[in-house]
Amino acid sequence: MAVTLHLPRPPDLNSSSSTDSSSLNRSVNRSVRVAEIVRRKTEAKDSLVAALKYFAEVEAGTPVQGNDELERNLVSVERVAYSKGLSPEAISVMLEFAMSLRMGTSPCVRVLKCLLPTTVVPHQAVVRAVVWLCVGKLPISTQVVFIKWVLTVFDMIDAKDHLRAIYGFLFSFVTEENLCPYICHLLYLLTRKESVRLFRVRKLLELQSKLGKQPFLLHLLSLYKVFCPELVTLSLPSRMRAGFRNYNGPWKSALIAIQKRNTGQVSSDLPLALETMERSGSRKRKLGHMDLPALTPVVQIQTQTSYNKAVVPLAHINSFVKLLENLHLIELPAQMGSLLGSSLALQYLDCVQDESAFLRLNFWLGHALHEEFLFCGHGGASHSTDEVVKFLERLLSSQHFLQEGFSSTEAFLYKFLNVWDGSLLRPQILGLLSSIPVVPSSCIGRLLFEPLMQLFLTSTLFFKCGLIDSLNGMLVKWLTWHSVYAREDGLDISLNSHTSMNMSLSGFMHSVMELVQFVGRLASMGLQLEGCHSLLLSFVLDFYDTVCDMFRKYGLPLLVMPPVGVFYPALFATDSVSVDRLAQIMYRYKINLTSAKKQEKQTEQAFHISRQTYLEFNRYLVFMVNCLWNSKVFQPGTAVELSEELLLRSRVPQYKASFDLIHHPAFLGHAVDFHRKCWPEKREVDLNSIKPSKVWGWYLEYLFTQGFDGLKQFIQSNISWRPSSASGAKTTDTDLEK
Amino acid sequence: MCRCSVFCWKICCYMRSSQTDFLRSVVVVSFLFHRVHNTSNACDDDDDDDDDDDDDDGGGGDDDDDDDDDDDDADDDNDDAAVLSGVLVQRRSRQSYRSYVGSHLGFTPGFPQRRLTTSRVAARGRRGARAPGGRGAAEASPAQLALLAREWQLSYVTPLYRFRHDQLRSYARQLGAFLAAETRRGEAAEAGLEDGLKVSITLVAGMAQTEEDADAVFIQMHSKRQFAAPDDPHKLAWSGWLACVGGDADYLRSLPPDFVCLPLLGASGAEGLTALVKAWFRRTFDCCFGPLEINSVNLQWLAALWTDCHAQTSIQQLKLVWSLPVEPPLQVTYTVHPQDAWELWESVRQPGERGEEDVGEEEGEEDGSIAIEEVARFIKGLQSHFYRHFRVELSAERLTQVSTALGAAKHSGRLKISNSSYMITTLTLLTECALLKMPI
Repeated sequence: MAVTLHLPRPPDLNSSSSTDSSSLNRSVNRSVRVAEIVRRKTEAKDSLVAALKYFAEVEAGTPVQGNDELERNLVSVERVAYSKGLSPEAISVMLEFAMSLRMGTSPCVRVLKCLLPTTVVPHQAVVRAVVWLCVGKLPISTQVVFIKWVLTVFDMIDAKDHLRAIYGFLFSFVTEENLCPYICHLLYLLTRKESVRLFRVRKLLELQSKLGKQPFLLHLLSLYKVFCPELVTLSLPSRMRAGFRNYNGPWKSALIAIQKRNTGQVSSDLPLALETMERSGSRKRKLGHMDLPALTPVVQIQTQTSYNKAVVPLAHINSFVKLLENLHLIELPAQMGSLLGSSLALQYLDCVQDESAFLRLNFWLGHALHEEFLFCGHGGASHSTDEVVKFLERLLSSQHFLQEGFSSTEAFLYKFLNVWDGSLLRPQILGLLSSIPVVPSSCIGRLLFEPLMQLFLTSTLFFKCGLIDSLNGMLVKWLTWHSVYAREDGLDISLNSHTSMNMSLSGFMHSVMELVQFVGRLASMGLQLEGCHSLLLSFVLDFYDTVCDMFRKYGLPLLVMPPVGVFYPALFATDSVSVDRLAQIMYRYKINLTSAKKQEKQTEQAFHISRQTYLEFNRYLVFMVNCLWNSKVFQPGTAVELSEELLLRSRVPQYKASFDLIHHPAFLGHAVDFHRKCWPEKREVDLNSIKPSKVWGWYLEYLFTQGFDGLKQFIQSNISWRPSSASGAKTTDTDLEK
Repeated sequence: MCRCSVFCWKICCYMRSSQTDFLRSVVVVSFLFHRVHNTSNACDDDDDDDDDDDDDDGGGGDDDDDDDDDDDDADDDNDDAAVLSGVLVQRRSRQSYRSYVGSHLGFTPGFPQRRLTTSRVAARGRRGARAPGGRGAAEASPAQLALLAREWQLSYVTPLYRFRHDQLRSYARQLGAFLAAETRRGEAAEAGLEDGLKVSITLVAGMAQTEEDADAVFIQMHSKRQFAAPDDPHKLAWSGWLACVGGDADYLRSLPPDFVCLPLLGASGAEGLTALVKAWFRRTFDCCFGPLEINSVNLQWLAALWTDCHAQTSIQQLKLVWSLPVEPPLQVTYTVHPQDAWELWESVRQPGERGEEDVGEEEGEEDGSIAIEEVARFIKGLQSHFYRHFRVELSAERLTQVSTALGAAKHSGRLKISNSSYMITTLTLLTECALLKMPI
């Protein structure tokens, strides 16, 4: 009981009034209307000053009944309070007046009700009021009103540490039956680890046995349990309401109104809670392996370790700032699985280096996934998919946040892909699939490609698209890993930030190569099976969008050309978008290959892009230019050869030109459009009239304005062409040939 | 839901088989026909302990059959088994995944080869080695004896984080407080002051077989009766044990030192208490529990292992229960005279792989390894005998229960061990099953 209190002196009222008058002087020159308002304001202020002076100096024992002066002053204080709120000094004065009972109990509640702070509540005032509370003359109902008021303005008290210093005094009020719920709430807000003591725990338990299971006691006890799990054991009933009731009755709305008026904004009163997850409400589910465990601190059993190291359980961290401050002291929770439930915890998980922690997390995660999808011996079908979806979504978002897949997810997927029907929870599973870290090329086939191939070949178009997309995501992640973790010598990359395992660059390149070739095979077959469906083609081209930039964007000396089963369907696609994207991809390939070549000449590197790739690229390029530009498709010596006879038998006139930019099925519509615009009077459409080089140039311009940027880049980079020259064109790709 | 009437008749045929001289069997076959009045609820028939079996029909049924294939294939090293099913593939990929994870995933170096071993030490061989005097069951410690004569519901447990064998007393106190808090849900309690249940956690010595095995732990809960005299014995409310017997050394070694692997939990007592104990373990040691079924292959193993002991300790009878996936569900209880079982076992053992050079040498077998082929032959022999007489092909059915005087095991994961001498062998097998269930 040796706490010394700093009793505040009555604040200096004169100083505040002098600043008011100076502000008045400044506003003299304004318009009359404004001046009137200001005058009224100052009047109010003056009356407030007078009122405060009255309340500060009124003598004890002054009668209340028929006291007009009191009434007048109180009204003026109320008017200001409800319109603008009271300054800290005013709060101090009024609180002191009310709690000291200088004029008895009757104006007390009325005063308390109008104690609406503008900015902050000085802690001295609150401490002093608690002192008056300890005197014990206040009626219980007034005490309750006071504590409720403290709870309401709690966030506005300027220095709460001083309140914590009188924790013991406040605690002594819990025995007061009517006051208990509010005191518990206040204690809940003030409790620190130091304040949890065995005698307090015992007192609360004693109260509990007297009052029964009161939520306020349980909440306070559960907080004690968070701080000192070794002192109290408790399990909250599942249906208990979260948090305390809001006791802020008369003040809250008025406070919000004042804040709005003063600052134009309302500070959100939502506490930044660590726990973002809600307990699952369904009672039906027996097996809880899909539930995230609660974030609970470790119960200290080995007492010798608990006190010599100041650790902060993660459950105590409730803001990012606190997380940063205590980053080196944080103790992991009892169940690692709980980390997935909160975003703050995930932030922390990102910096955890402890391998055991990850192993724990992986055991839990793997167990949940295995039980749900692989072992499901207990009527797995009865599980509500909602919960599973929620679980997987959370897992996905965690992995996304960490930018890294968990190894247990990976191990699970290798098994699950073998039994998956391709439709169960497709988006989630494909999402998990795309975050599989780099798989060594020695086992990638057996672990991934075999099951995926089977699924791919026997599934619908939408699954095919989804799978290609997912593999594209996987490739992007691998390449990103490479570019982030690649060591400076360029030969070793650490695969995973949490392991010390490294993978050589050649191993990584092999894996990437395998993946790209696998997708190439899948895409070729898929396009064949689905009749070159443009949706599938679009996903495939997405994939090659990634592939063609591997050198420039990710610094990987590896380029793989699309297989013929992808290239030709894209080139002969009936939609111009696909052709345009193919042109774009070819353009990117060219840029990558030329810069690779340049680099190769400059520096001696261990890895080169193979000559085969250049040859392949050139073959494609020549064919593409011949086909779209030179009208020399199916020429002997190019990639696609058909015998003259056969072509003649097909009776297609001008078959050589049938895939040029005019006659290509994807561009035919544009050509006709162009023709109409050029010669609106002509009835017959003669597409060959576009051929002359001048018109051809216009036609190209027209196409470029239609948004075919890929085509534009392709043509500009590969074909040197002047409108003046004859329609002949030549490719300039010879420099690429080795 | 209608209860079903059970038609049961027993065909007792005392037969002396002329074709096969090894089966002079007293075969008691009892068919249990479950005739269901309401066919829509056909699967809800119940024998006393069949509930679990029926529950598992969805996923478990396939598992077992495929496990047969799997293990057969394993021996031939035939990876091109045509059956593509969950468990088959799962196990194969796990095995192949092992080498991969070992080299690739940093934190589990040396991923163990986790599949059922194809040969294991016979119980008698081990006992002979350990107790040359052949004192039989007398060597078991009292703590081990506590594991006998009760039926245990098995679960697998992922490794316990920061479990310490020197803290058992403190764990007992906490578990007691936890149980108290949970039973009086919503009422806080001071830690360490439990009432109601008295929990004790003790060490079971002599269960660990290798360096890597962690010592087994035995948990007991005695309820205090309110009006009991002070010297009244407390009633045992729940008991359970956690054990690791002959676990895969590579796997155990691959775990960081913070982890203690006790993969097998046996629980006996109220379900609610089991759930609470599991919850406490989950919370305290960050582990996970899952049901451990004993599939056909493992039941066959147990049948063979127990039969193998007959020379030392009489197994009284070998009882096998098959469930037939027909409508209405049919159950075949196949009881074999111990002597017949023994002779059949001997006959499949004799011309084994140990080669012609030491045919008939009992000593050669005393080294005590039993191969899976022998088990398969043994079961096949039993099944073909049954087929010869009843024209029911048991090999297509699911073995759900095996019992002898030494112990009994059910597909649902219920286990009873009656003789301490052979406990280790049984638990080694089950530890292996539990380790197979580990997620990583």
